Amino acid sequence: MIRKIILLILVMGIGKSYAQDTKEPQNDGTATEVVTPPKEEKSHFMLRGFAQFGLDASSDNVEFNMTSFNPVILYRQGDRFLFESELEMEYMSNEFSLNLGYASASYIITKGVTVKVGKILIPFGEFGEKLHPSWVNRMADAPLGLGHDGGMLPMADIGVELRGGLQMGKSKLSYSIYCVNGPRLKDGTMGQEEAGMLSWENMNDNNKNKALGARIGILPLSNSSLEIGFSGYYAKPGNSTSPYAGDSMNMDLNYKDVTALLTAIDLSYVKQIAPLKGVIDIKGQYNMSDVSNATYLKPGDTNRLTNRYTFTNSSTAYYAQLAYRPTMAGNKILKNIEVVGRYSVYNTPVGSLWESTQSQISLGLNYWFSWRTVLKVGYQMSDGVPAGMSGMSMGGASMSSMSTSTVNTFQIHLAMGL
Amino acid sequence: MNKIKVITGLMFSVLIATIFTQSCTTSKMIEQKSGAQLWGENCIRCHNMPSPADFTDVQWATIGLHMQDRVNLTDAEAKKIVDFMKSAN
Repeated sequence: MIRKIILLILVMGIGKSYAQDTKEPQNDGTATEVVTPPKEEKSHFMLRGFAQFGLDASSDNVEFNMTSFNPVILYRQGDRFLFESELEMEYMSNEFSLNLGYASASYIITKGVTVKVGKILIPFGEFGEKLHPSWVNRMADAPLGLGHDGGMLPMADIGVELRGGLQMGKSKLSYSIYCVNGPRLKDGTMGQEEAGMLSWENMNDNNKNKALGARIGILPLSNSSLEIGFSGYYAKPGNSTSPYAGDSMNMDLNYKDVTALLTAIDLSYVKQIAPLKGVIDIKGQYNMSDVSNATYLKPGDTNRLTNRYTFTNSSTAYYAQLAYRPTMAGNKILKNIEVVGRYSVYNTPVGSLWESTQSQISLGLNYWFSWRTVLKVGYQMSDGVPAGMSGMSMGGASMSSMSTSTVNTFQIHLAMGL
Repeated sequence: MNKIKVITGLMFSVLIATIFTQSCTTSKMIEQKSGAQLWGENCIRCHNMPSPADFTDVQWATIGLHMQDRVNLTDAEAKKIVDFMKSAN
Protein backbone atom coordinates (compact mmCIF):
# COMPACT_ATOMS: atom_id res chain seq x y z
CA MET A 1 0.00 0.00 0.00
CA ILE A 2 2.77 2.40 0.97
CA ARG A 3 4.68 1.55 -2.19
CA LYS A 4 1.59 2.28 -4.26
CA ILE A 5 1.14 5.67 -2.58
CA ILE A 6 4.78 6.61 -3.17
CA LEU A 7 4.63 5.44 -6.79
CA LEU A 8 1.41 7.37 -7.38
CA ILE A 9 2.92 10.57 -5.97
CA LEU A 10 6.07 10.25 -8.04
CA VAL A 11 4.15 9.52 -11.23
CA MET A 12 1.77 12.41 -10.61
CA GLY A 13 4.48 14.85 -9.67
CA ILE A 14 7.06 14.03 -12.32
CA GLY A 15 4.49 13.56 -15.06
CA LYS A 16 2.59 16.72 -14.33
CA SER A 17 5.68 18.87 -13.74
CA TYR A 18 7.27 17.60 -16.94
CA ALA A 19 4.11 18.17 -18.91
CA GLN A 20 3.54 21.67 -17.68
CA ASP A 21 7.08 22.91 -17.43
CA THR A 22 7.96 21.91 -20.97
CA LYS A 23 4.85 23.15 -22.72
CA GLU A 24 5.67 26.28 -24.65
CA PRO A 25 3.48 28.03 -27.19
CA GLN A 26 4.49 26.77 -30.63
CA ASN A 27 4.97 29.33 -33.32
CA ASP A 28 5.21 28.01 -36.86
CA GLY A 29 6.07 31.39 -38.24
CA THR A 30 2.75 32.10 -39.94
CA ALA A 31 1.51 35.65 -39.59
CA THR A 32 -2.07 34.62 -38.86
CA GLU A 33 -1.38 32.61 -35.73
CA VAL A 34 -2.68 34.05 -32.51
CA VAL A 35 -0.45 33.16 -29.59
CA THR A 36 -2.50 32.88 -26.44
CA PRO A 37 -0.93 33.04 -23.01
CA PRO A 38 -0.04 29.52 -21.96
CA LYS A 39 -2.53 28.05 -19.51
CA GLU A 40 0.25 26.75 -17.31
CA GLU A 41 0.86 30.33 -16.21
CA LYS A 42 -2.45 30.17 -14.39
CA SER A 43 -1.93 26.89 -12.61
CA HIS A 44 1.12 24.87 -11.83
CA PHE A 45 2.00 21.66 -10.04
CA MET A 46 5.40 21.00 -8.48
CA LEU A 47 6.93 18.16 -6.56
CA ARG A 48 9.69 19.26 -4.22
CA GLY A 49 10.77 18.27 -0.73
CA PHE A 50 13.85 17.16 1.10
CA ALA A 51 15.73 14.09 2.25
CA GLN A 52 18.43 13.26 4.75
CA PHE A 53 20.52 10.13 5.08
CA GLY A 54 23.29 9.52 7.52
CA LEU A 55 25.37 7.66 10.01
CA ASP A 56 25.17 8.02 13.78
CA ALA A 57 27.91 6.47 15.88
CA SER A 58 28.03 6.32 19.68
CA SER A 59 29.90 4.06 22.07
CA ASP A 60 26.92 1.69 22.11
CA ASN A 61 25.75 1.79 18.53
CA VAL A 62 26.81 2.53 14.98
CA GLU A 63 23.93 2.89 12.60
CA PHE A 64 23.17 4.05 9.10
CA ASN A 65 19.79 5.69 8.94
CA MET A 66 17.43 7.55 6.71
CA THR A 67 16.20 10.23 9.01
CA SER A 68 13.88 11.83 6.49
CA PHE A 69 12.44 11.65 3.02
CA ASN A 70 9.74 14.25 2.75
CA PRO A 71 8.14 14.90 -0.64
CA VAL A 72 6.36 18.26 -0.75
CA ILE A 73 3.56 18.84 -3.23
CA LEU A 74 2.82 22.38 -4.37
CA TYR A 75 -0.13 23.31 -6.53
CA ARG A 76 -0.69 26.93 -7.50
CA GLN A 77 -3.93 28.07 -9.03
CA GLY A 78 -3.72 31.64 -10.26
CA ASP A 79 -1.81 34.19 -8.24
CA ARG A 80 -3.62 33.77 -4.95
CA PHE A 81 -4.40 30.11 -4.34
CA LEU A 82 -1.85 27.55 -3.17
CA PHE A 83 -2.21 23.98 -2.00
CA GLU A 84 0.78 22.38 -0.33
CA SER A 85 1.36 19.11 1.40
CA GLU A 86 4.27 17.29 2.95
CA LEU A 87 4.58 13.57 3.46
CA GLU A 88 6.97 12.47 6.17
CA MET A 89 8.68 9.17 5.51
CA GLU A 90 11.12 7.85 8.04
CA TYR A 91 13.00 4.62 8.34
CA MET A 92 14.73 4.29 11.66
CA SER A 93 15.45 1.38 13.95
CA ASN A 94 13.86 -1.11 11.55
CA GLU A 95 10.62 0.82 11.45
CA PHE A 96 9.13 2.65 8.51
CA SER A 97 6.62 5.37 9.18
CA LEU A 98 4.55 7.44 6.79
CA ASN A 99 2.80 10.52 8.11
CA LEU A 100 1.05 13.50 6.66
CA GLY A 101 3.21 16.38 7.85
CA TYR A 102 0.78 18.99 6.64
CA ALA A 103 -1.77 19.52 3.88
CA SER A 104 -3.21 22.98 3.59
CA ALA A 105 -4.82 25.36 1.16
CA SER A 106 -3.94 29.06 1.27
CA TYR A 107 -5.71 31.97 -0.34
CA ILE A 108 -4.49 35.56 -0.38
CA ILE A 109 -7.59 37.55 0.54
CA THR A 110 -5.95 40.92 0.21
CA LYS A 111 -2.56 42.53 0.74
CA GLY A 112 -1.11 41.21 3.95
CA VAL A 113 -3.93 38.78 4.71
CA THR A 114 -3.80 35.10 3.77
CA VAL A 115 -6.28 32.53 5.00
CA LYS A 116 -5.14 28.96 5.36
CA VAL A 117 -7.18 25.84 6.09
CA GLY A 118 -6.37 22.18 6.51
CA LYS A 119 -3.63 20.47 8.44
CA ILE A 120 -1.36 23.44 8.97
CA LEU A 121 2.15 23.77 10.33
CA ILE A 122 1.76 25.52 13.65
CA PRO A 123 3.67 28.81 13.74
CA PHE A 124 4.74 28.37 17.33
CA GLY A 125 8.24 29.75 17.52
CA GLU A 126 10.33 29.61 14.40
CA PHE A 127 11.90 26.19 14.28
CA GLY A 128 8.83 24.01 13.73
CA GLU A 129 7.45 25.96 10.83
CA LYS A 130 10.44 27.40 9.02
CA LEU A 131 13.61 25.60 10.06
CA HIS A 132 12.64 21.95 10.36
CA PRO A 133 13.48 20.80 6.78
CA SER A 134 16.78 18.93 6.93
CA TRP A 135 18.41 21.09 4.24
CA VAL A 136 17.43 24.26 6.14
CA ASN A 137 18.37 23.01 9.61
CA ARG A 138 22.12 23.55 10.08
CA MET A 139 22.38 20.60 12.45
CA ALA A 140 21.64 16.95 11.73
CA ASP A 141 18.69 16.85 14.09
CA ALA A 142 16.21 19.07 15.90
CA PRO A 143 16.98 20.80 19.19
CA LEU A 144 15.86 18.94 22.31
CA GLY A 145 12.12 19.21 22.86
CA LEU A 146 11.39 20.64 19.43
CA GLY A 147 11.41 17.51 17.31
CA HIS A 148 8.52 15.40 16.12
CA ASP A 149 9.29 12.62 18.56
CA GLY A 150 8.56 13.47 22.16
CA GLY A 151 8.62 17.20 21.59
CA MET A 152 6.73 19.55 23.88
CA LEU A 153 5.46 21.84 21.11
CA PRO A 154 2.68 21.62 18.53
CA MET A 155 4.03 20.90 15.06
CA ALA A 156 0.90 20.58 12.91
CA ASP A 157 -2.82 20.44 13.51
CA ILE A 158 -6.13 20.74 11.68
CA GLY A 159 -7.78 24.12 11.66
CA VAL A 160 -7.83 27.58 10.14
CA GLU A 161 -5.23 30.35 10.16
CA LEU A 162 -4.93 33.98 9.18
CA ARG A 163 -1.45 35.26 8.46
CA GLY A 164 0.56 37.80 6.58
CA GLY A 165 3.37 40.30 6.49
CA LEU A 166 2.97 44.05 6.81
CA GLN A 167 5.43 46.83 6.13
CA MET A 168 5.38 49.36 8.95
CA GLY A 169 7.72 52.17 8.12
CA LYS A 170 11.18 50.69 7.94
CA SER A 171 10.15 47.74 10.11
CA LYS A 172 8.06 44.73 9.26
CA LEU A 173 5.44 42.83 11.15
CA SER A 174 4.78 39.15 10.58
CA TYR A 175 1.64 37.73 12.16
CA SER A 176 -0.16 34.40 12.38
CA ILE A 177 -3.40 33.72 14.23
CA TYR A 178 -4.92 30.27 14.23
CA CYS A 179 -7.64 28.07 15.66
CA VAL A 180 -7.04 24.31 15.64
CA ASN A 181 -8.33 21.12 17.28
CA GLY A 182 -5.62 21.26 19.90
CA PRO A 183 -3.76 18.70 22.00
CA ARG A 184 -5.11 15.86 24.08
CA LEU A 185 -4.17 15.40 27.72
CA LYS A 186 -2.79 12.00 28.49
CA ASP A 187 -4.76 11.21 31.64
CA GLY A 188 -2.96 7.98 32.42
CA THR A 189 -5.65 5.56 31.31
CA MET A 190 -3.62 4.48 28.25
CA GLY A 191 -0.19 4.62 29.87
CA GLN A 192 0.17 5.78 33.43
CA GLU A 193 3.83 6.68 33.02
CA GLU A 194 2.83 9.52 30.66
CA ALA A 195 0.03 11.01 32.78
CA GLY A 196 -0.09 14.78 32.37
CA MET A 197 1.71 14.84 29.04
CA LEU A 198 0.20 16.57 26.03
CA SER A 199 -0.37 14.53 22.89
CA TRP A 200 -0.18 16.59 19.70
CA GLU A 201 -1.15 14.06 17.09
CA ASN A 202 -4.93 14.28 17.23
CA MET A 203 -6.83 14.09 14.00
CA ASN A 204 -10.07 13.85 15.97
CA ASP A 205 -10.75 16.33 18.74
CA ASN A 206 -11.60 14.92 22.16
CA ASN A 207 -13.77 17.84 23.23
CA LYS A 208 -15.66 20.88 21.96
CA ASN A 209 -12.87 23.29 22.82
CA LYS A 210 -10.56 24.64 20.18
CA ALA A 211 -6.98 25.68 20.72
CA LEU A 212 -6.11 29.28 19.92
CA GLY A 213 -2.67 30.52 19.12
CA ALA A 214 -0.75 33.36 17.59
CA ARG A 215 2.75 34.40 16.70
CA ILE A 216 3.88 37.97 16.19
CA GLY A 217 7.22 38.42 14.52
CA ILE A 218 8.87 41.83 14.54
CA LEU A 219 11.62 42.70 12.09
CA PRO A 220 12.81 46.05 13.39
CA LEU A 221 15.72 46.53 10.98
CA SER A 222 15.09 47.70 7.44
CA ASN A 223 17.24 44.92 5.98
CA SER A 224 15.13 42.18 7.64
CA SER A 225 18.20 40.64 9.25
CA LEU A 226 16.70 40.52 12.73
CA GLU A 227 13.42 38.90 13.69
CA ILE A 228 12.08 38.54 17.20
CA GLY A 229 9.00 36.41 17.60
CA PHE A 230 6.47 36.02 20.40
CA SER A 231 4.20 32.99 20.42
CA GLY A 232 1.25 32.02 22.56
CA TYR A 233 -1.01 28.97 22.52
CA TYR A 234 -3.97 28.17 24.76
CA ALA A 235 -5.99 24.98 24.90
CA LYS A 236 -8.19 22.88 27.14
CA PRO A 237 -6.84 19.43 26.36
CA GLY A 238 -8.90 17.24 28.70
CA ASN A 239 -11.72 14.91 27.73
CA SER A 240 -15.17 16.39 28.23
CA THR A 241 -16.10 13.44 30.43
CA SER A 242 -14.21 11.63 33.16
CA PRO A 243 -12.16 8.71 31.85
CA TYR A 244 -13.13 6.89 35.03
CA ALA A 245 -16.89 7.22 34.59
CA GLY A 246 -18.45 4.08 36.05
CA ASP A 247 -15.48 3.47 38.35
CA SER A 248 -16.88 4.32 41.75
CA MET A 249 -13.39 4.58 43.24
CA ASN A 250 -12.07 7.17 40.82
CA MET A 251 -15.01 8.76 39.04
CA ASP A 252 -14.25 12.07 40.80
CA LEU A 253 -11.11 12.40 38.67
CA ASN A 254 -12.00 14.68 35.81
CA TYR A 255 -9.77 16.58 33.42
CA LYS A 256 -12.24 18.71 31.46
CA ASP A 257 -11.10 21.94 33.14
CA VAL A 258 -7.39 21.35 32.70
CA THR A 259 -5.79 24.15 30.69
CA ALA A 260 -2.55 24.35 28.75
CA LEU A 261 -0.72 27.59 28.09
CA LEU A 262 2.40 27.58 25.95
CA THR A 263 4.56 30.59 25.29
CA ALA A 264 7.75 31.11 23.34
CA ILE A 265 10.24 33.74 22.33
CA ASP A 266 12.34 33.20 19.26
CA LEU A 267 15.15 35.18 17.73
CA SER A 268 16.85 35.09 14.39
CA TYR A 269 19.70 37.25 13.14
CA VAL A 270 21.27 36.49 9.77
CA LYS A 271 23.61 38.92 8.12
CA GLN A 272 26.58 38.97 5.80
CA ILE A 273 29.24 40.90 7.66
CA ALA A 274 32.06 42.21 5.49
CA PRO A 275 34.78 42.40 8.19
CA LEU A 276 34.10 38.76 8.98
CA LYS A 277 34.02 37.90 5.27
CA GLY A 278 30.97 35.76 5.73
CA VAL A 279 27.47 35.16 6.99
CA ILE A 280 26.62 35.02 10.66
CA ASP A 281 23.48 33.06 11.46
CA ILE A 282 22.15 33.24 15.01
CA LYS A 283 19.01 31.37 16.01
CA GLY A 284 17.37 30.82 19.34
CA GLN A 285 14.05 29.84 20.87
CA TYR A 286 12.82 29.62 24.47
CA ASN A 287 9.63 27.64 25.07
CA MET A 288 7.52 27.23 28.18
CA SER A 289 4.58 24.89 28.70
CA ASP A 290 2.27 25.24 31.70
CA VAL A 291 -0.52 22.72 32.15
CA SER A 292 -2.78 23.30 35.14
CA ASN A 293 -2.47 20.90 38.03
CA ALA A 294 -4.51 17.73 38.03
CA THR A 295 -4.61 14.52 40.02
CA TYR A 296 -3.50 11.25 38.46
CA LEU A 297 -3.36 7.63 39.59
CA LYS A 298 -0.13 5.94 40.58
CA PRO A 299 0.59 2.80 38.63
CA GLY A 300 0.13 -0.44 40.53
CA ASP A 301 -1.35 1.19 43.63
CA THR A 302 -4.96 0.32 44.40
CA ASN A 303 -5.09 1.91 47.84
CA ARG A 304 -7.60 4.73 47.66
CA LEU A 305 -5.65 6.73 50.24
CA THR A 306 -2.24 6.57 48.57
CA ASN A 307 -2.80 5.95 44.89
CA ARG A 308 -3.07 9.57 43.80
CA TYR A 309 -0.48 12.18 43.05
CA THR A 310 -0.14 15.57 41.48
CA PHE A 311 2.72 17.75 40.30
CA THR A 312 3.43 21.16 38.84
CA ASN A 313 3.07 20.42 35.17
CA SER A 314 5.59 22.84 33.68
CA SER A 315 8.15 22.09 30.99
CA THR A 316 10.79 24.20 29.31
CA ALA A 317 12.86 23.71 26.19
CA TYR A 318 15.29 26.11 24.65
CA TYR A 319 18.18 26.29 22.26
CA ALA A 320 20.73 28.74 20.97
CA GLN A 321 22.62 28.24 17.74
CA LEU A 322 25.44 30.06 16.02
CA ALA A 323 26.64 29.37 12.50
CA TYR A 324 29.29 31.05 10.40
CA ARG A 325 30.08 30.56 6.75
CA PRO A 326 32.90 32.50 5.04
CA THR A 327 30.93 33.20 1.88
CA MET A 328 33.26 36.04 0.89
CA ALA A 329 36.44 33.97 1.12
CA GLY A 330 38.54 33.76 -2.01
CA ASN A 331 39.02 30.00 -1.78
CA LYS A 332 36.21 28.09 -3.48
CA ILE A 333 36.24 25.22 -0.99
CA LEU A 334 36.52 27.44 2.06
CA LYS A 335 33.50 29.53 1.08
CA ASN A 336 31.35 26.39 1.07
CA ILE A 337 32.29 25.38 4.59
CA GLU A 338 30.13 26.30 7.53
CA VAL A 339 30.82 25.85 11.22
CA VAL A 340 27.90 25.60 13.60
CA GLY A 341 27.34 25.12 17.30
CA ARG A 342 24.17 24.59 19.27
CA TYR A 343 23.22 24.27 22.91
CA SER A 344 19.80 22.93 23.80
CA VAL A 345 18.00 21.98 26.99
CA TYR A 346 14.74 20.16 27.69
CA ASN A 347 13.23 19.86 31.16
CA THR A 348 9.99 18.00 31.85
CA PRO A 349 7.89 18.40 35.03
CA VAL A 350 9.47 17.58 38.37
CA GLY A 351 7.42 14.93 40.15
CA SER A 352 5.87 13.46 37.04
CA LEU A 353 6.57 9.92 35.93
CA TRP A 354 8.14 11.36 32.78
CA GLU A 355 10.37 13.75 34.65
CA SER A 356 13.64 14.27 32.88
CA THR A 357 16.28 16.86 32.40
CA GLN A 358 18.43 16.84 29.31
CA SER A 359 21.06 19.10 27.84
CA GLN A 360 23.01 18.83 24.65
CA ILE A 361 25.99 20.50 23.04
CA SER A 362 26.28 19.97 19.30
CA LEU A 363 29.19 21.02 17.13
CA GLY A 364 29.07 20.74 13.38
CA LEU A 365 31.06 21.26 10.23
CA ASN A 366 28.98 21.53 7.08
CA TYR A 367 30.03 21.48 3.47
CA TRP A 368 27.58 22.97 0.97
CA PHE A 369 27.73 21.30 -2.45
CA SER A 370 25.02 23.66 -3.62
CA TRP A 371 22.61 26.06 -1.97
CA ARG A 372 20.35 23.15 -1.01
CA THR A 373 22.66 20.14 -0.66
CA VAL A 374 24.85 19.84 2.41
CA LEU A 375 27.07 17.29 4.08
CA LYS A 376 26.84 17.68 7.85
CA VAL A 377 29.54 16.28 10.11
CA GLY A 378 28.73 16.67 13.76
CA TYR A 379 29.68 15.71 17.27
CA GLN A 380 27.01 15.75 19.93
CA MET A 381 27.39 15.54 23.69
CA SER A 382 24.12 14.76 25.47
CA ASP A 383 23.68 14.72 29.24
CA GLY A 384 20.61 13.97 31.28
CA VAL A 385 18.44 11.77 33.37
CA PRO A 386 16.05 10.04 31.00
CA ALA A 387 12.30 10.09 31.39
CA GLY A 388 10.82 7.58 33.81
CA MET A 389 13.63 7.99 36.37
CA SER A 390 11.76 10.39 38.63
CA GLY A 391 11.79 10.28 42.37
CA MET A 392 8.45 8.52 42.62
CA SER A 393 9.30 5.82 40.13
CA MET A 394 12.66 5.29 41.81
CA GLY A 395 11.14 4.75 45.22
CA GLY A 396 11.46 8.28 46.46
CA ALA A 397 15.03 9.05 45.44
CA SER A 398 15.38 12.59 44.18
CA MET A 399 16.66 13.19 40.71
CA SER A 400 19.52 15.26 41.98
CA SER A 401 20.87 12.22 43.78
CA MET A 402 20.94 10.15 40.61
CA SER A 403 23.87 10.15 38.26
CA THR A 404 23.30 11.61 34.86
CA SER A 405 24.06 9.63 31.76
CA THR A 406 26.28 11.03 29.02
CA VAL A 407 26.07 9.98 25.41
CA ASN A 408 28.50 11.24 22.80
CA THR A 409 27.46 10.79 19.19
CA PHE A 410 29.33 11.29 15.96
CA GLN A 411 27.11 12.13 13.00
CA ILE A 412 27.55 12.29 9.25
CA HIS A 413 24.43 13.29 7.34
CA LEU A 414 23.74 14.29 3.78
CA ALA A 415 20.71 16.56 3.39
CA MET A 416 19.20 17.57 0.09
CA GLY A 417 16.50 20.00 -0.83
CA LEU A 418 14.71 18.35 -3.74
CA MET B 1 9.02 32.49 35.78
CA ASN B 2 7.34 35.80 36.60
CA LYS B 3 10.59 37.64 35.86
CA ILE B 4 10.73 36.07 32.42
CA LYS B 5 7.16 37.15 31.73
CA VAL B 6 7.85 40.70 32.89
CA ILE B 7 11.02 40.90 30.78
CA THR B 8 9.13 39.50 27.80
CA GLY B 9 6.38 42.06 28.26
CA LEU B 10 8.87 44.89 28.48
CA MET B 11 10.76 43.77 25.39
CA PHE B 12 7.52 43.43 23.48
CA SER B 13 6.38 46.91 24.53
CA VAL B 14 9.68 48.47 23.50
CA LEU B 15 9.56 46.79 20.13
CA ILE B 16 5.97 47.82 19.48
CA ALA B 17 6.85 51.40 20.45
CA THR B 18 9.85 51.28 18.10
CA ILE B 19 7.69 50.11 15.25
CA PHE B 20 5.09 52.79 15.76
CA THR B 21 7.81 55.41 15.93
CA GLN B 22 9.38 54.16 12.72
CA SER B 23 5.99 53.85 11.03
CA CYS B 24 5.66 57.60 11.22
CA THR B 25 8.75 58.10 9.08
CA THR B 26 8.86 57.72 5.35
CA SER B 27 9.41 54.28 3.92
CA LYS B 28 10.71 55.57 0.61
CA MET B 29 13.91 53.65 1.13
CA ILE B 30 11.90 50.46 1.46
CA GLU B 31 9.82 51.23 -1.60
CA GLN B 32 12.93 51.77 -3.68
CA LYS B 33 14.47 48.42 -2.84
CA SER B 34 15.02 46.23 -5.87
CA GLY B 35 13.98 42.61 -6.21
CA ALA B 36 17.64 41.60 -6.18
CA GLN B 37 18.20 43.37 -2.88
CA LEU B 38 15.11 41.83 -1.32
CA TRP B 39 16.16 38.40 -2.61
CA GLY B 40 19.50 38.85 -0.86
CA GLU B 41 17.96 40.04 2.38
CA ASN B 42 15.03 37.66 2.78
CA CYS B 43 15.95 34.23 1.40
CA ILE B 44 19.06 34.03 3.55
CA ARG B 45 17.01 34.39 6.72
CA CYS B 46 16.28 30.65 6.57
CA HIS B 47 18.38 29.10 3.80
CA ASN B 48 21.14 29.84 1.32
CA MET B 49 20.25 32.03 -1.60
CA PRO B 50 19.00 30.09 -4.61
CA SER B 51 20.19 30.90 -8.09
CA PRO B 52 17.53 32.39 -10.37
CA ALA B 53 18.61 29.82 -12.97
CA ASP B 54 17.50 26.92 -10.78
CA PHE B 55 13.85 27.26 -11.75
CA THR B 56 11.70 28.37 -14.65
CA ASP B 57 9.41 31.39 -14.61
CA VAL B 58 6.38 29.24 -13.89
CA GLN B 59 8.16 27.47 -11.07
CA TRP B 60 9.32 30.77 -9.56
CA ALA B 61 5.71 31.98 -9.49
CA THR B 62 4.73 28.89 -7.49
CA ILE B 63 7.76 29.04 -5.20
CA GLY B 64 7.20 32.75 -4.64
CA LEU B 65 3.65 32.15 -3.48
CA HIS B 66 4.85 29.30 -1.28
CA MET B 67 7.53 31.44 0.35
CA GLN B 68 5.26 34.44 0.76
CA ASP B 69 2.94 32.18 2.70
CA ARG B 70 5.63 30.40 4.71
CA VAL B 71 7.61 33.38 5.98
CA ASN B 72 4.99 36.13 5.67
CA LEU B 73 6.72 38.20 3.01
CA THR B 74 4.82 41.35 2.21
CA ASP B 75 3.02 41.43 -1.15
CA ALA B 76 5.47 43.96 -2.51
CA GLU B 77 8.47 41.89 -1.44
CA ALA B 78 7.12 38.69 -2.94
CA LYS B 79 6.25 40.36 -6.24
CA LYS B 80 9.62 42.10 -6.57
CA ILE B 81 11.59 38.97 -5.70
CA VAL B 82 9.64 36.77 -8.15
CA ASP B 83 9.94 39.37 -10.91
CA PHE B 84 13.69 39.52 -10.32
CA MET B 85 14.07 35.73 -10.37
CA LYS B 86 12.12 35.53 -13.61
CA SER B 87 14.18 38.28 -15.21
CA ALA B 88 17.51 36.81 -14.12
CA ASN B 89 17.03 33.11 -14.83
